[in-house]
Amino acid sequence: MSDKKTLGEMLTERGVSRRTFLKYASYTASIMALPPTAATAIAQGIANARRQSVIWLSFQECTGCTESITRAHTPSIEDLIFDFISLDYHHTLMNASGHLAEEARMAAMKENAGEYIVVVDGSVPLKDDGIYSTIAGITNLQMLEETCKDAFAVIAVGSCATFGGIPAANPNPTGAVAISDIITDKPIINISGCPPIPEAMTGTISYLLSFGSIPELDHLGRPKAFFGEAIHDRCYRRPFYERGMFAKSFDDEGARQGWCLFEVGCKGPVTYNACATLKWNGGVSFPIQSGHGCLGCSEPNFWDMGGFYKPLSTAKGDPLKWAGGAVVAGAAIGAASAAIARNKRNKVLKEGK
Amino acid sequence: MPRDSAAPCLSERATGMALSVLTEILQMLEALAESGASGSIDLRSLPLSDADRAELEEALGRGEVRAEMELAGESEVWETTYPGVWWIRHCGAGGKIATEEISVCRIPEILITHPVDIEAAAARLKKELETTHV
Repeated sequence: MSDKKTLGEMLTERGVSRRTFLKYASYTASIMALPPTAATAIAQGIANARRQSVIWLSFQECTGCTESITRAHTPSIEDLIFDFISLDYHHTLMNASGHLAEEARMAAMKENAGEYIVVVDGSVPLKDDGIYSTIAGITNLQMLEETCKDAFAVIAVGSCATFGGIPAANPNPTGAVAISDIITDKPIINISGCPPIPEAMTGTISYLLSFGSIPELDHLGRPKAFFGEAIHDRCYRRPFYERGMFAKSFDDEGARQGWCLFEVGCKGPVTYNACATLKWNGGVSFPIQSGHGCLGCSEPNFWDMGGFYKPLSTAKGDPLKWAGGAVVAGAAIGAASAAIARNKRNKVLKEGK
Repeated sequence: MPRDSAAPCLSERATGMALSVLTEILQMLEALAESGASGSIDLRSLPLSDADRAELEEALGRGEVRAEMELAGESEVWETTYPGVWWIRHCGAGGKIATEEISVCRIPEILITHPVDIEAAAARLKKELETTHV
């Protein structure tokens, strides 16, 4: 449950200094693309905040999003986020099970009404009254609506929750939909990816804690700090693209020389995410650096884009069309921007089908 | 910083970014001298190659002050050979650089003890004296 003390008071008692807060704040400012001078305000904001109650719902998903955010390594600055939140319900991670787990969810909702954050991974099946995925005797739809009713904000993590993802791929047998197709009266932040980059999830929660508001979102409801640029724009192989030097297969000389992977299906030009800058596994690498093209997993309908190994120019539909849309779309701050984003997101989803 | 193993030739090439950063530092340093206004540059946000980073670090050098900190991972701060220009490096998991910035100021905030920590220190020492030296 949420602690009545501020995070500053709570962590000072445990010997965590304000210098550590400031270091965390510098890290958060950097990954959120805020100026370094914002670190002081972030540190103060976190110190004055109460421990944030988080209810995590998992629906039609593979648990990859949870694996991503709880990646195992030595305790470090990146893990401080787990001291800042109270994860009151997560049916994979919590000790309680059965009715005790559901009682914990209800208690957190009652105690923190209007203040708790709901994190959702997985899509929600609507076909045949939603019977294709149930938890504790109720459908995912019922659990989502019940839990979000008194939430402060909703964070949809992973491409299943944000856009329907793999469960919604053609022919979408369960009638899977995204969270924003159901919840329309709360601010929703979409953090897409299969799975999302851990820093995109923790950075967004830290921003909410520090400033008590929604970060600036793109036209798909995603934080611009992480989804503001195409992977292609920040790819270290971009100079080869500019020179027309492409790998033609995964074992040719071009591939060995690290040339651009566009012609073997890389979706980097139409994929907006921070893989090329934040990278994965603590900054070790990202798919393109490891020799494989981007799958476009953070974009709507990525599973139905015509094949991972077909170049964009020959893939089904016209993906470059929605790349253009991504570039020109604007965004605003707060709940209003979330609503605008939702409308645009729905438009993009329809065009992509 | 880790090198791009797939294409080492790219990361070894200087792009001229170091000179751009040095020019920005000069402007900040002049502002600090004239009005006391401090400023910072987030190095992680810039497309610096390994060669650019090395060029920048060599150009600024290391001056009189250096501090190491243990703050949920290692951190290091040093004043460059240009007084008022500080290099701040915070490491995260596995000792990898989590964030790195140039701060142009009299003294970086991370080195100043926060009043809350001073109060907590006084309370802790008082308790220690009361329980072990009565």
